[in-house]
Amino acid sequence: MNHASLSSIFLDSLLINNFVLSVFLGICPFIGVSGKFATAWRMGISVIFVITVSSILAYASNLLLVTLHAEYLRIITFIVIIASTVQLLEMFIKKTSPLLFRALGIYLPLITTNCAVLGVALFQTAREYSFAQSVVFAVGASAGFALALVIMSVIRERLELSDIPDMARGTALVLMLAGILSMAFMGFAGMGGGA
Amino acid sequence: MALIHEPDAPAASAGESMEAFFNGLWNQNPVFVQVLGMCPTLAVTNSVRNALAMGLATTFVLVCSNTLISMVRKLVQKQVRIATYILIIATFVTIVDYLIKAISIPVYKALGAFIALIVVNCIILGRAEAYASKNSVGKSMLDGLGMGVGFAFALTCLGSVREILGAGSFLGIPLFGPNFQPWVLFLLPPGGFLTLATWLLIFSAWKARSKRKTEVLEEIAA
Amino acid sequence: MSATTQSPQARTPKPPAAEAASSVKMIRLMGSVSLICGLLIVTTYRSTLVPIQRNQEIIMKETVAELLPGVEKQVIYGVQPSGEISVLKSLDYTGPRLFAGYNGSGALLGVVLEASDRGYADVIRTMYAYSPAKQAITGFKVVELKETPGLGDKITSDPTFLANFQNLDVRLNADKTSTAHPVTTVKHGTKKNPWEVDAISGATISSRAVGRALDKSTRDLLPIVNRNLSRIEKGE
Repeated sequence: MNHASLSSIFLDSLLINNFVLSVFLGICPFIGVSGKFATAWRMGISVIFVITVSSILAYASNLLLVTLHAEYLRIITFIVIIASTVQLLEMFIKKTSPLLFRALGIYLPLITTNCAVLGVALFQTAREYSFAQSVVFAVGASAGFALALVIMSVIRERLELSDIPDMARGTALVLMLAGILSMAFMGFAGMGGGA
Repeated sequence: MALIHEPDAPAASAGESMEAFFNGLWNQNPVFVQVLGMCPTLAVTNSVRNALAMGLATTFVLVCSNTLISMVRKLVQKQVRIATYILIIATFVTIVDYLIKAISIPVYKALGAFIALIVVNCIILGRAEAYASKNSVGKSMLDGLGMGVGFAFALTCLGSVREILGAGSFLGIPLFGPNFQPWVLFLLPPGGFLTLATWLLIFSAWKARSKRKTEVLEEIAA
Repeated sequence: MSATTQSPQARTPKPPAAEAASSVKMIRLMGSVSLICGLLIVTTYRSTLVPIQRNQEIIMKETVAELLPGVEKQVIYGVQPSGEISVLKSLDYTGPRLFAGYNGSGALLGVVLEASDRGYADVIRTMYAYSPAKQAITGFKVVELKETPGLGDKITSDPTFLANFQNLDVRLNADKTSTAHPVTTVKHGTKKNPWEVDAISGATISSRAVGRALDKSTRDLLPIVNRNLSRIEKGE
């Protein structure tokens, strides 16, 4: 059992231990889809959606694995769950809301290889979170990912017209910006522990 | 990441297998050239020891999964290939997870969840899809080894810079006198981003220079 | 890597007969691959079980030996929710654990306990040695922390801070249900009482976290240690 309060888990996963800027999860989509604000927020919402659903499923399947004493199948189970969650969500959204599907459709399949999804499932298991804690953690962590993605996309749109040496364009620039953002986010560190 | 870099399709008539090995090590270096597998590259490179351990673990998974996938490549139908690959990769990741735990608990604790996260390292699925599913067992094994060593090399580059500047040591051995004031930022997350950005800059500067050189040489020849 | 956009399942429609045939083939393939994978995993799991346990035990033993100099024999107890204790065969126990250490002639040197609390960056895990004879904490070690290097991680090395735990008063109250004085962290240089922890200036949050962790652990576990002291002394 983990005794952390729900609010501290949320703050911790959203800001203090931000998945992108301090735990280094989901860096690939962070570099890849942060070019435009319009795509960034859509990706962000898709990720929140997928992570929350797969966190609930991962919690349930972990209970099953523990009762069966088959913890050694954890990695395989989680990855299969994530892949099928993404697939099912895609079908579900397509059926129920064509509008949402048009907005998020192409981002959903990309999320399978987003390590933040597997990261949430693994961390909530390792920290022995209860069901409510897991869900709050999943929402906080994925919202933190979306937050970092949106901030980065806005900065990059602004930098579009600046005069940057050719060599530094692209990934190197994103990483430098991420380094500065990450320094800024370090300022949140005292919030969770506190006095 | 699927969106940015498409690894070049392997030359179908690559006569020498050694080419498969050196390709991954340098020309197609997974980190510096293809910019794949960023998460572990940034997360576990705060010391040379962790970087090496992660590099070795990834190499192990790459070699094993490439070999097995290449063995079954003719039996796998197109529709289920990704599922099969992921299953095989996840198996070897589970194995490496237990092996590291059995070898050294401190290393296991330092790498933490990032061992399990090798599963979603794009390099591995990328090599399975782009190379192992089309080439012979021997070549796929060498390709895995080359990519793995290239990955480990890149991780060690980052790890050395961060450990030397951030802790004033290399592999835990202090390098400077007791008066050295460590540049702690390099051990922290921002240091990871900044170090990798610098390495990428160095690499692209070097590439731009050698490109200019060949252009000049061609001009002279013409 | 365009692979990720492909679905694991079949998507292209086919004539019914061909589809049925290839479905069987697909299932057979997936089944045999799963079988091989399952075999590989189980073999590794079985063969690494013993070395992993041995590694964990070695690390724990070394920590206990460091906290209780001169220890020759160790017994691990698990504390059940009811407050009862029982001897553990392996370290695999989710509740609180007590590591009793004995010298060569079998006399109890002390009990090592675990304490943890949230620090500046993440949870700080510590272990401390408790001497029932002195009613005091006699040793302390941080076993896991992710505090800021150069600031918070001083709690592992600062000599004046570590001196706090060479003899920290944690005697029990009159009815033996809790500690008489809570372990409190005070500002650097203002320690007056033997149950106070002198904080490191510049690492106050981490120092306070250590104080809170010790306070909680001592309150909860020391009454249990003292209630079962006769059993622990005999090592049964």
